[in-house]
Amino acid sequence: MPCIPASSPGIPHQHQHQHHRALAGVGMAVGCAAEAAVAAAGVAGTRCGAHDGEVPMEVARHHEHAEPGSGRCCSAVVQHVAAPAAAVWSVVRRFDQPQAYKRFVRSCALLAGDGGVGTLREVRVVSGLPAASSRERLEILDDESHVLSFRVVGGEHRLKNYLSVTTVHPSPSAPTAATVVVESYVVDVPPGNTPEDTRVFVDTIVKCNLQSLAKTAEKLAAGARAAGS
Amino acid sequence: MAAAAAAAAICGEDETAARVGCTGEWAGGIERVDLGERKEAVAAAGAGKRSVYLMDCAPVWGCASTRGRSAEMEDASAAVPRFADVPVRLLASRRDLDALGLDADALRLPAHLFGVFDGHGGAEVANYCRERIHVVLSEELKRLGKNLGEMGEVDMKEHWDDVFTKCFQRVDDEVSGRVTRVVNGGGEVRSEPVTAENVGSTAVVALVCSSHVVVANCGDSRIVLCRGKEPVALSIDHKPDRKDERARIEAQGGKVIQWNGYRVSGILAMSRSIGDRYLKPFVIPKPEVMVVPRAKDDDCLILASDGLWDVVSNEEACKVARRQILLWHKNNGAASPLSDEGEGSTDPAAQAAADYLMRLALKKGSEDNITVIVVDLKPRKKLKNIS
Repeated sequence: MPCIPASSPGIPHQHQHQHHRALAGVGMAVGCAAEAAVAAAGVAGTRCGAHDGEVPMEVARHHEHAEPGSGRCCSAVVQHVAAPAAAVWSVVRRFDQPQAYKRFVRSCALLAGDGGVGTLREVRVVSGLPAASSRERLEILDDESHVLSFRVVGGEHRLKNYLSVTTVHPSPSAPTAATVVVESYVVDVPPGNTPEDTRVFVDTIVKCNLQSLAKTAEKLAAGARAAGS
Repeated sequence: MAAAAAAAAICGEDETAARVGCTGEWAGGIERVDLGERKEAVAAAGAGKRSVYLMDCAPVWGCASTRGRSAEMEDASAAVPRFADVPVRLLASRRDLDALGLDADALRLPAHLFGVFDGHGGAEVANYCRERIHVVLSEELKRLGKNLGEMGEVDMKEHWDDVFTKCFQRVDDEVSGRVTRVVNGGGEVRSEPVTAENVGSTAVVALVCSSHVVVANCGDSRIVLCRGKEPVALSIDHKPDRKDERARIEAQGGKVIQWNGYRVSGILAMSRSIGDRYLKPFVIPKPEVMVVPRAKDDDCLILASDGLWDVVSNEEACKVARRQILLWHKNNGAASPLSDEGEGSTDPAAQAAADYLMRLALKKGSEDNITVIVVDLKPRKKLKNIS
């Protein structure tokens, strides 16, 4: 499905939006890839409209990737967590410990930095995957807005120029007890694959990670409540 | 019919034994079951030939395993002698059994279980399979045995499919926490997952008794029978680009993507496994089952993970295993290890074959964990030469 710039009036929005389901543990993906023709008409800096409808308004601007252009694709995964935003963010923000919730991570070593912006990590992944390692740089760590972003700058894998943004936001329906996590990314489509292939691959892993995050944060929050009582 | 033919073929071994001066008693791995109350029936069955269904078979196996060049060891294996008794109705028709003068409803054959489990994403599921598959299978066989009286002439293969499918599904359900499982030696019951949702394992399992080998496979480990010096594949690898597997996955809304090889969702290089719940319903734990009557010219079984099969062909594995077993017996003719050792330990000849295959895979550049089980299916006598 083509990515339609928001600035193009009169072009109907083609995305099929899933109905919002406020269920913990539900991960959904929305996304599209740019068609060459649309890309040619695109303007640098025009935001990708792919994420409209699913990403909460309050954090949507963090997930506005520039027009991906031909050979690129983007997507976003939304995860609902039955835990307060503070508990979720405390897990997400640990750039030095991705294995706390990313189950595909076998080990993580810091190559530079101490967890703040600019930190460089080398992640080794578990067996059975078509990858061995990933070298990643922390681009954004915003403890006020609960935004984390990293860029993949190397490693043994096929995902070139991968940029990810994760936001953590209290759920509108239950602000003190539930959280909406959105992880969006933009990446090159590897040679020989289609944008859809790429989205299926990355979304499956991101969904698995976010479902694990939900369990981890819910357990953390339950522990905190038990300690408090 | 195949079962009866196999029975006749194996009974014929009596004559061979007689020709080499072995009087009356069967040599090597096959021993007569003491079924005193059946002696009349046996006599009635005629002319002193012993039915394959009244024979015992000792477990004769070797197992070799190595992490190899991988960072982690995620393979597991199981060898469980006499783990269950198999109702003979699962192995032969009532008509055939009646013709042999055997009680179709009461007779049970002792069976051994061998299994190889190649884990990915972690070792927890493979280790769980090693501990649980034979227990659950034994329970399924007992359950089925209780219902035998009501069974008419039914396709035996269907029952084996049912038994193994239920067994593998049960283990998969325990792994995911969908059903309760017993932990810590039975003192505790849990309904939480064994491990994370991205951990899984292959499972290739062989049930061996005197009359048949029954195989169940899920994933891309493999079992090969060496028969008359030739390999017979008893399993078909569950690869995502297998035409029927790809069709099944796509019918479920999944996608097989070429991403360093064909993979489910571009991630998993096999289409069936125990565990891996993040990829359900595309990746299923349902095994493919084969029921194979044993034959006189059966040499051995080889069960192994893809750490072996990626670098050693079925043909080469059979040739090597057979040769190593024969070599061992030639070089150790004076010993009688089978009669001296308990059934809980491996057989040195089969062990030599398994070790050799493991080292061969390493030499050929395997980059994965390697696990090999060799089961000797040949009754062994002293050998004067290598044929």
